[in-house]
Amino acid sequence: MLAFITVGSTRFDGLIKSVFTPSVLASLSDKGYTTIVVQCGNSDFSYNHLLAQGEQSFRLEKDGVTIECWKFKPSLQTDYERADLVISHAGSGTIVDVLRMDKPLIVVPNPTLADNHQQELASALEKLGHLRSSTTSQLANTIQEFDASSLTKFPPFDGGKFRKLLDEEMGFV
Amino acid sequence: MFHVITCAVLLVATVCIRVYCILPKPTVPERPKKSAENRTLAVFLGSGGHTSEMLALVSSLDFDRYFPRIYIISEGDTLSERKAAALEATKAASSHSTSKNPDAYTFLVIPRARKVHQSLLTTPSTALLSVTKSFYQVALASSHRKGQFADVLVLNGPGTCLTLCLAVYLNKFFGLASPKMVYIESFARVQTLSLSGKLLRSLVDRFVVQWPQLLQDGKRGEYHGWLI
Repeated sequence: MLAFITVGSTRFDGLIKSVFTPSVLASLSDKGYTTIVVQCGNSDFSYNHLLAQGEQSFRLEKDGVTIECWKFKPSLQTDYERADLVISHAGSGTIVDVLRMDKPLIVVPNPTLADNHQQELASALEKLGHLRSSTTSQLANTIQEFDASSLTKFPPFDGGKFRKLLDEEMGFV
Repeated sequence: MFHVITCAVLLVATVCIRVYCILPKPTVPERPKKSAENRTLAVFLGSGGHTSEMLALVSSLDFDRYFPRIYIISEGDTLSERKAAALEATKAASSHSTSKNPDAYTFLVIPRARKVHQSLLTTPSTALLSVTKSFYQVALASSHRKGQFADVLVLNGPGTCLTLCLAVYLNKFFGLASPKMVYIESFARVQTLSLSGKLLRSLVDRFVVQWPQLLQDGKRGEYHGWLI
């Protein structure tokens, strides 16, 4: 199975460093994720030098897992599609995109962001059962205990509410 | 000297009374009479997550009702421009008549109130330029659009949307036709309002949040579930 890790449009050093630790890699391979695709953005981590000389991506074998890592792509759609598990930062855009594709999701809110509303959203959605929220130090445990079948399905996009609101305001209904 | 002070006090009082008159009232505002006419829609695309959420909202609308559409973007935000154009293309492919009209939508570029890393010292001057340009676009340059900039202006942050709101208020101040303003707080805001949400809460006609916790303080706002 394949796990996809993404940090979004900037960087999240803590998450990428955590993913490359033996304990997280062991948890992933234990659970059958033998291929890991990492979108690392501009994160600073120990394998950075492999992306230093203008290389777009690198591939390596570590602790029984095949890791493919790259910085950015215009769209992550195909990567979400082929993933069996997504581990991401807690940006609302990424969360909505992944949950709408019915992909099991573990989010790690970035504690270094000035205004930490990522944590609020992650906790609220975890309470509703749509995802699991973790931390960089707890990630190995969370993966170990993660049970995708216990998650609650995220509702599909319902444009009707905003359409009704604006149609009312503008006198169409 | 006494006369100068009297005049100043009178002027300030007049401005205050006028602003009070144009602030949204707690009573249900008068809505336009039921009609089948088209409405001009203006939306602000605040880049990144703001743009994605706004375009998701816009995608739900009937484009045969809302045209022309004006996408307001910040200077240099080509990504938002491309995303909006992509939405228009998708809608045109799946719809009929008006949305295929090349005049069905336009882009309006306004200067940023404050660029990232800009020093606070120069911010007032760029913010003033931003408000001036916004005011010019919203008020004066709208004469070719039958005297009104738009029927409705939808905002969801960040910063620059405040200058648009102020421009609309200048419009109102002088009694010019002004768009209704609808603010939709981001889905990402669960416990605390964003800065633009806090600032615009009492200024816009409809203030909508996507998590009920945000209305626990009993101040104005409405919640209709998740909109995106």
